[in-house]
Amino acid sequence: MEKEKTILIVDDVEINRMILAEIFSGSYNIMEAGSGAEAIEMINGNADIAAVLLDLLMPGVSGLGVLEDMNQTGKIKHIPVFLITAAESEAVLMEGYHLGAVDVIRKPFMTQFLQCRVSNLIELYAHRNALEDLVEKQVAQLKEINQSMVETLATIIEFRDCESGEHVKRIGRLTRIMMTEVSSAYPEYHLPKKEIDKIVTSSILHDIGKISIPDNILNKPGRLTAEEFEIMKQHTVKGCEILQNIPDVMDKGIYGYSYDICRHHHERWDGKGYPDGLAGDEISIWAQVVAVADVYDALTSERVYKAAYSREKAVEMIYNGECGTFNPKLLEVFRGALDKLLSEG
Amino acid sequence: MSLLEELKSLGVDVDGGVHRLNGNQSLYERMIFKFLDMMKKSVVSPEFDANDYADVIEVAHALKGAAGNLSVTPIYEAYGKIVDLLRSQEPEEARKVLNDVLPVQERILDCIEKHKS
Repeated sequence: MEKEKTILIVDDVEINRMILAEIFSGSYNIMEAGSGAEAIEMINGNADIAAVLLDLLMPGVSGLGVLEDMNQTGKIKHIPVFLITAAESEAVLMEGYHLGAVDVIRKPFMTQFLQCRVSNLIELYAHRNALEDLVEKQVAQLKEINQSMVETLATIIEFRDCESGEHVKRIGRLTRIMMTEVSSAYPEYHLPKKEIDKIVTSSILHDIGKISIPDNILNKPGRLTAEEFEIMKQHTVKGCEILQNIPDVMDKGIYGYSYDICRHHHERWDGKGYPDGLAGDEISIWAQVVAVADVYDALTSERVYKAAYSREKAVEMIYNGECGTFNPKLLEVFRGALDKLLSEG
Repeated sequence: MSLLEELKSLGVDVDGGVHRLNGNQSLYERMIFKFLDMMKKSVVSPEFDANDYADVIEVAHALKGAAGNLSVTPIYEAYGKIVDLLRSQEPEEARKVLNDVLPVQERILDCIEKHKS
């Protein structure tokens, strides 16, 4: 039989190690450690240890010390540990169990019984570890599918809007940089990276409601009439309606951010935006960030009704309030964020 | 008489010890020689201090474990009692057990020593 799995035997008494090695060498590769310190080194240096047989009483680092280290590194979750004991007190054994040991091996060893117990638990752990890996892979796959669906949706809108897919990608990149900056500069806006990732994914859906705007308005080469503009403004709430119809398609967090960004990326700090006329921090920080990113990108891009402005001109227009007022704290980090965006290339 | 037969006559459960090693008799013999080395290095003296015997417990505990695994029954049982008595703070009782086992232990170790050479 080919031996694939390795058992680590930890005991300061060589005779005990030799006996255990003999008991298990028929089915497993054997590693031996004569001290707790040696054991810790081997456990952390070898990825393929399938079980640890651990003596509790050893000079220097004891068996409990080894268990504590395995708890710190998280290895205890994936490797079954058996305590070897002659007659330790119940308190010590209980401490071992609390530290994650799975079973107790009593000396003198009962060979066949021991073989069965150890191999059963090794199989059980192998099965559990494989399942965990599988779940992890599937979650990653789901996340990928989620992301590509969101991107597909966004790209469809862009084609109708006569833009390339580049617009949403640029918005996403600028949103990430600005969210990261504003999150680290202002504690009240602090968000963990995981949330920022979701906001970035959500940002590319900000204009999804434009799918419901008639072509003659969406792609009108000239200025919109007041009436047409009212219809155009509807893309914010229409976007939310679309999202409401497909809530299960996306992660709950992304749904929440997308909804908010769709609805509020045209709100302005002074309350003069639409559709709800929110002001100041009534507007979520992510919707505020996407608003700035969207305005900047619109200004620097060519549209059916206008040429592209230079970067300097666009920045000047934003700071002068020509595109509505923005949160002063956001404007503080905006220039620096742009520098980072350009240095990224 | 062979080593194993002689050990049997001294109360060692040779069959149990060999069985524990998946029936590997020659490995058992090699380990019995290792056990001799261990016993020579880890001596528990009957003169131990009745007020400070933590290290005695440690050594006796290790001897008990190894003797038990090799089924050297007289030594396993005696050192098991010694550990229990010391843990329950009865050093004089432990000393008695130790004094009783020492001649038995000596016969067993002499026997192993004889076959080693």
